Amino acid sequence: MPARDAPVGTLDTGKLYAARLQAARVRPYLATALFALHPVESRSVPTMAVDPYWRCYVSPGFVDRTPVEELAGVWVHEVSHLLRDHHGRSDRYAHRHELRGPAERLRMNIAADCEINDDVFGDGLVAPGGAVGPASLGLQDGELMEDYLRQFRLGPHTAHLAWLECGSGADGLPRPWDLGPDGAHGLSTQERDAVRFRVAQGIVGHPGNAPAGWRRWAEEAFHPPQPWRELLGAALRAAASAPGTGEDYVYGRPARRSAAVPGVVLPSLRRRPARVVVVIDTSGSVSDAELGSALLEVAAISRAVGGRRDLVGVLPCDAAAGQVRPLCGGAQGVELLGGGGTDLRTGFARALESRPRPDVVVVLTDGQTPWPSRRPPCRTVVGVFGRHHGRSSYDESDPEYVPAGPPAWARVVTIG
Amino acid sequence: MSTYTPLPEHTGTSAPSQAGPDAAPAASTAPAAASRLDVSGALLALLRDTTTAPRPDPQLEALTLAVSADLPVLLWGEPGIGKTAALTQLATTLDLPLTTVIASVHEPSDFSGLPVIGEDPETDGVPMAPPDWAVRLVRAGRGLLFLDELSTAPPAVQAALLRLVLERRVGALRLPPGVRIVAAANPRSSAADGWELSPPLANRFVHLKWVHDADVVVRGLGGVWPRATLPALDAGRLPEAVALARRAVCGLLGARPALVHRLPSGETQRGGAWPSPRSWDMALCLTAFATAADASRDVLSMLVRGTVGDGPGLEFLAYLDRMDLPDPEDLLADPGGAVLPGRGDLRQATLDAVVAAVRARPERGRWDAAWALLAKAAETGAPDLLVVPATTLATLRRDDWEVPVTIEGLAGAVSVSQRADRAKVRALTVTRAGR
Repeated sequence: MPARDAPVGTLDTGKLYAARLQAARVRPYLATALFALHPVESRSVPTMAVDPYWRCYVSPGFVDRTPVEELAGVWVHEVSHLLRDHHGRSDRYAHRHELRGPAERLRMNIAADCEINDDVFGDGLVAPGGAVGPASLGLQDGELMEDYLRQFRLGPHTAHLAWLECGSGADGLPRPWDLGPDGAHGLSTQERDAVRFRVAQGIVGHPGNAPAGWRRWAEEAFHPPQPWRELLGAALRAAASAPGTGEDYVYGRPARRSAAVPGVVLPSLRRRPARVVVVIDTSGSVSDAELGSALLEVAAISRAVGGRRDLVGVLPCDAAAGQVRPLCGGAQGVELLGGGGTDLRTGFARALESRPRPDVVVVLTDGQTPWPSRRPPCRTVVGVFGRHHGRSSYDESDPEYVPAGPPAWARVVTIG
Repeated sequence: MSTYTPLPEHTGTSAPSQAGPDAAPAASTAPAAASRLDVSGALLALLRDTTTAPRPDPQLEALTLAVSADLPVLLWGEPGIGKTAALTQLATTLDLPLTTVIASVHEPSDFSGLPVIGEDPETDGVPMAPPDWAVRLVRAGRGLLFLDELSTAPPAVQAALLRLVLERRVGALRLPPGVRIVAAANPRSSAADGWELSPPLANRFVHLKWVHDADVVVRGLGGVWPRATLPALDAGRLPEAVALARRAVCGLLGARPALVHRLPSGETQRGGAWPSPRSWDMALCLTAFATAADASRDVLSMLVRGTVGDGPGLEFLAYLDRMDLPDPEDLLADPGGAVLPGRGDLRQATLDAVVAAVRARPERGRWDAAWALLAKAAETGAPDLLVVPATTLATLRRDDWEVPVTIEGLAGAVSVSQRADRAKVRALTVTRAGR
């Protein structure tokens, strides 16, 4: 099949560039990245390999024996390693888990390949022969390299992958043929960021053309999701400690400044710990494990901002609100009643009725609920269990029902 | 840790004449003569006997430029990775005395001033007395003020700091222009009991992420710390630098007015850099400084993204990249002497711009010049980049225009395009059959 219009042993650049052009035609949103790659002829690489500086090392023999349409798939595969920063992520993973040695790097290359290969091919792009997918390792599609790395080890079932070689751009381990950071045609950190940014912008701007995996990448490329615990903690801490929450000037005790102004009674700023009521959506779509972990987090954070355990109240709420109960014995002691549909408006009303009035209301919900039309007279933090979006929005009595998102006056944290 | 300044010789011993590395052998032969502290002093001196090696350090360069530009800098970094050491080196380089104030252990009144009642408050008023470190700074007239642990300071203290950072006022005192302000904060993930920065305070800083390099730390502990050569401004390039910075910022914001002001919306972006007229002004200033110092794009990228945020910062840098591309009109005027960018994606962007320019004003001469440019590009680079511009250029032909001879140079591109077409058909057959 391969057209032999070049002598054996020299790189058939016409074929290589025809493959790149085909790749750019079927994946227009990757064109910038494909054209930014600099091909380097190399007899040391078995097939094609990239380095972190956006050079693509190409074996002439491999180009010779591979049809153009498969070469196009390899181009996209290699550029995906660079766009998804697999070398940087491999280095960070290796650093965090103290992994070293070529075997671990091979494992990272395999995991990175799994992340790419499960959704880039098809629709005009042929998967190159021997492309490894998650299914061949008995794993699920659609996960990230780091998730795959936790799920498999090298063994007899991966022996056929030992030849896998996508270069230092895929797993971060320098190769003997790499030209290094000072070699010709390398891209600097800023140039790499700029190319990745332009590709991401193109995908976000025209999301219709790109598969879900690329859209997710584009959305997260420059705004990596943060762990929800820290976000919830920061939101709660800011709400509970902001000026105006439970603090006022009192004359009951002299101020620290009084020493400087004898003869004057200055008020001192006193603060009582913030009272927090946690309204929990018990409509059944939120799992107990998730609720328990979120609730423990809320209790721990309110202790950290100076609250006592008895100042944290818990209010289970489905269509009707229960009673506010103090969170005394940890999350285990809380009975979470309910299980029907949700109306958090009753939960808000009941929380604000409780005496003493709460300074902060934390709502843990899956978001499938009507919200109060007006801003409640206290700070509000909403933790939304994001995973359940789309799955539980179906309502038997009213299939057309689309719940509104959390209102703008609340600080919203997506959990999970 | 990426920087290190050798500590001063051990001076705390009671008998300084016996201290120092030279005293070590003497101490071992005559233990009675030297006190125990002298021996420990000798050991400490040996431990501190490290050398430095030059090594480029973009984050220190960025810090130096921002401090030279007299903008308040906020270093985000985990505790114990050498932020203070970096500041010490910076102070030495800029020849400024360093004043460190731990924000989290102070009260708001330490920054807004303590009321002191004089003879007759009714006529004289109540002055707000500044703390001693501020008085000393003002007396010195110059210095580097380092506000440490900013994110763990309570909101009321942060509010008081707002005035210090923005108006440079501590109580009744005004800090002289020679004082530069740098703050440090721990990121939210490591500051378990920290508060986040309020958006108005965050908007006044250049945010720099301070990270350590494991290799540098290992080498440093082995006795060789890096020494960065810090950027110096080129006095001859100042007008050019200002012109470039103005052109870049105004050009981008003219085309994308939505980027002028955008409050952080998501929970993840709170407490960080975000675009506003104030932070764009800072970005303009930093671009001019980076240009005058001939700093690398990596340094400029850290500074701009730390000022207006990642997204707008990257758009700004992309705009700068486009400004670097040759002007299509210049290329059309002299296709023979044209120099095209070497990188594939930039070369394609340039050729696309040339074709767009011809489309905007189609004339026979310009059309021919564009073909000559494409032929030149075919000689010097990959042919697949030419397919789209050449196809578009061909559609611009008028009936009375003859196809130029130079088009023969594009035969390679045509054959590449045909091969890609055939491969696409085969690929579609395969992928559809597979479904």
